[in-house]
Amino acid sequence: MFGQANVLAQGEAAFPPSVEDFYLPSILPWGAENSYWFTKITAMVWIAVGVLIIFFLVSYRKPQLVPTKKQWFAESIYGFVRNNIAVDMIGHAGVRFAPYFTTLFCFILLTNFFAILPGFQISPNSHIAFPAILAVISYVLFIYAGIRHHGAGKFIRNSLIPPAPWYILPLLIPIEFFSTFLVRPFSLAVRLFANMFAGHMLLLVFTLGGFAMLNANAWFAPVSVLSWVMTVALTFLEFLVIVLQAYVFTVLTASYVQGALAEEH
Amino acid sequence: MAGDQNPRTGGGPDDVPTGAGQGWTALAYLITGMLVWGFIGWLVDQWLDTGGIATGIGVVLGMAGGIVLVVRRLGTPT
Repeated sequence: MFGQANVLAQGEAAFPPSVEDFYLPSILPWGAENSYWFTKITAMVWIAVGVLIIFFLVSYRKPQLVPTKKQWFAESIYGFVRNNIAVDMIGHAGVRFAPYFTTLFCFILLTNFFAILPGFQISPNSHIAFPAILAVISYVLFIYAGIRHHGAGKFIRNSLIPPAPWYILPLLIPIEFFSTFLVRPFSLAVRLFANMFAGHMLLLVFTLGGFAMLNANAWFAPVSVLSWVMTVALTFLEFLVIVLQAYVFTVLTASYVQGALAEEH
Repeated sequence: MAGDQNPRTGGGPDDVPTGAGQGWTALAYLITGMLVWGFIGWLVDQWLDTGGIATGIGVVLGMAGGIVLVVRRLGTPT
């Protein structure tokens, strides 16, 4: 962090920031060129997985009737996802999916939160790979749930053939096919990725922009300060986006599962 | 459409999705409708060299289709 700040103060950091700034240097092997097997991003994903596993194990190791603070926190998160997302969207059958939704919600929330956590300051989700894999998991889940509930034939018929007169079906079936089987996973992944990418980019622009102006001319110092104030303000906006995107991803997955389980109208 | 939403029932797999999910579904239908039929129209354009007319027709058809889908899938069941 401090090394980075020194680099910035000496005006060596490139402005404007580019996509290159999202590819952090390799950790293992240390400092290797063009090696992306183990970078800060990789480390952050493993830290997130570890933190979540340990947190939920520890907070529920000795469950008590009158919950401890940790237990209360873990139960609130699970209860929120279970009642306000799973049951709200899917109904009684949604309880079965609540563990997955909670895992998804917590993982996205935590990895998103790394975007503004000092020392981490970039979200793994600003690389399309992670949202894409999450979207694929949700995609497989809702198709699997639908096929198990209805059987393959009925599931495909339900999701492709809307309740409409036969003469407009040729118009509607391609739309249904695209929106259900192609656009859904794509939009899930891209929505999360783009939000985190844009958020990191914005913070970079305003932080580095401050340094760039300061280095260009000392008279720009007030503008630099304004730019950094904007960074602080945008960090709060980022926090909103972080929570919202985690919520939206989970709600949409729940909505897709609901659609897959729904009976014919 | 805001007025004719179902009153919140106990929930069940055959309820229409609530709130946010419904909104996103509707938006997805409207956009994909235009994209899918716009693309098909564009392909026809390339094939018959009609200079964009087919794309336009496709987009309008797709819009109509998207609206029909929203009404049929998310509207109040009669």
